[in-house]
Amino acid sequence: MAMAAAESGRKSLIGVRIGAFGLMALALVAAMLFSIGAGRFSVDVPRIGEILLAAVMNPDAAPSQMDERIVLLVRLPRVLLAALSGAALAVGGAALQGVFRNPLVSPQVLGISQGAAFGGALAILFGYSGFILLGMAFLLGLSALVMVGLLARINGRTEVITVILAGMIVGALFAALVSVVQFVADPNTSLPAIVYWLMGSFSTATWPRLWLAVPGMGLGLFAVWMLRYRLNLLALEEQEARSLGVNPDRERWYIFVAISLMTGTSVAVAGIIGWIGLVVPHAARILVGEDHRVLIPASALLGAAYLTLIDTMARTLTAAEIPLGVLTALVGAPVFGTLLRRHFKETSRT
Amino acid sequence: MTIRFPIALAGVVLAILASIPARADPITINDHEGRTVTLAKPVERIASIPIPMASTIIAMDGGTSKLVGMNPTAKSAIVEGVLGKIFPEAKDIPSDITAPNFIPNVEELAATNPELVIQWADRGPDLVDPIVNAGLNALLISYGSEEKTKQYQAMVATAMGKPERAEMINGWRDQVAAEMAAKSKDIPADKKPRILYLGRALESLTASGDKGNYAAFYVNLAGAVSVSADLEGQGTTISPEQIAEWNPDVILLNSFEAKLGLERIYDDPILSLTKAAQDKRVYKMPLGGYRWDPPNQESPLTWMWLANLMHPDIFQYDLRAEMKKAYKTLYDYDLTDEDIDGILWIGMQGDATDYAQFKAK
Repeated sequence: MAMAAAESGRKSLIGVRIGAFGLMALALVAAMLFSIGAGRFSVDVPRIGEILLAAVMNPDAAPSQMDERIVLLVRLPRVLLAALSGAALAVGGAALQGVFRNPLVSPQVLGISQGAAFGGALAILFGYSGFILLGMAFLLGLSALVMVGLLARINGRTEVITVILAGMIVGALFAALVSVVQFVADPNTSLPAIVYWLMGSFSTATWPRLWLAVPGMGLGLFAVWMLRYRLNLLALEEQEARSLGVNPDRERWYIFVAISLMTGTSVAVAGIIGWIGLVVPHAARILVGEDHRVLIPASALLGAAYLTLIDTMARTLTAAEIPLGVLTALVGAPVFGTLLRRHFKETSRT
Repeated sequence: MTIRFPIALAGVVLAILASIPARADPITINDHEGRTVTLAKPVERIASIPIPMASTIIAMDGGTSKLVGMNPTAKSAIVEGVLGKIFPEAKDIPSDITAPNFIPNVEELAATNPELVIQWADRGPDLVDPIVNAGLNALLISYGSEEKTKQYQAMVATAMGKPERAEMINGWRDQVAAEMAAKSKDIPADKKPRILYLGRALESLTASGDKGNYAAFYVNLAGAVSVSADLEGQGTTISPEQIAEWNPDVILLNSFEAKLGLERIYDDPILSLTKAAQDKRVYKMPLGGYRWDPPNQESPLTWMWLANLMHPDIFQYDLRAEMKKAYKTLYDYDLTDEDIDGILWIGMQGDATDYAQFKAK
């Protein structure tokens, strides 16, 4: 339906889309600037400009004052990491929804989040932090995907339904393993750390952590971007897609690997942040339609802006850091509901 | 002669009469859930499911002979710490009576044949019912405040037939606390160091509000204030930026995280600029018979340690001597200088501000 609409009203749509993208890009920039300005430690806005400008002019100078370090070493990497993760999670959701032709799937469906969660929880249990934690979360997220792949491949082919079922099985397995870790964890030390980490947070964002996230998320985003035409074909019926010369099986796995790269990395650096992959693609669809060529970049921009703002709330509302998973659900669910209602009203009117 | 004999006889009779009721009287204890626990005689076999209680039982008894089961986490803390050195036999005490999550494994518990099982009060009947249903006698305790600590110390000591021992040890607590409160009450507000106690610091940073927090209790007792006093809740994650905003005079690192050292603060781009780091007033909480941060049988030593550090001009406890005295009383053990250096992390933080006072003379 959206494809047909895109064909018929092509010219007028292009104008609307450019406007919509301009607004979304603007919103992202505004969200990031606001986020760099906001925080528990008070730094004047002109001073922030001064600090940023000085850092751009002379990137080798190490920040020495507290306000410089807060802006350049705490807020800047955190804002960038939140924006990047938001884009990755939203694009992952949009791509999966396209592959499964189902608007209710999200990266959790493939069991990747649960696999990564197990890796991270295990690391905390053994007293590891930092890069070992990231590595374990990422590797177990990836191994969850491999398990899904092995389970779902029957007679050399994988069907959508077997992938979903395999994802559920693998996800349930890793969810149980997370419970085992929580069961044996020391309630004085590691258990609260595991529980908090599972709720998601960027509170430990640093430049090294950002650089660790960039390859995984960047590759994933790039891959989905390259495959955005294919996503439209995958959204067709299987037979139809094959008749157009697409090997849906192979294409789907490209997308899955890209998504597991993004999701695994995001769980590794920030724990489990739900709802972004579900809510943002819907909002994007309402704004730009279902064509994946525009839906993917729109989801990236919106996801980045949305998670940046959510994270700003998480770190500024109270002296305590509010877990992101809590905020994305509390904010995401009503927004999602409202968007859906408005969307259904509009579609039923036409 | 004829007069003396009846007097002596009366004395003997009186002595017998006085001793009989004491032996026949059952021991009754009101636990923290308001239940009345009745024991026919002092118990010889106690199993403890809450973590801090295992080392408390050892201290109240002065040995490990009555502890027949404990939480695996309590056991690892005892075996790895100085208590493991004092009581090497502790490693043979069963610890599979519960998982770290405090849910009793009733069959393992029953197999230890305990006359009394210590369990948490106010954490719901799921933790208690299995014990009671198995026909075991449960004593429920709750945690966190100085008052409750003294109460449950008295409870287990009474259960073991040694109430006077808890009285003595609790008397020591009261005396040190009163002495400190008297000295710290005249300290003007602007002379009170602002302390940040980091309950966790490795993967993320956590702090606690003052309400119901034991660290806040001894921070105030030592003539200091907690910068995180207004936080809601305990063990709340905070950002480095929030710490920069508080800019504490002193940072206390917890003793729970074994890998946590002072470099966590000194190597951090933000935390290293706080007043605490600049003034070299970052200290890791000592690890003695139990971790010194939460309430336990060694708490007065924690208070003295902190008070000496916060106001060396007002408090001049001879901590090493006090530790030797306390360990002799609590565990009948003579602390060596190496033991003390290890407990106080002299090797790691001997050069911190005002820490030289704790070095061996």
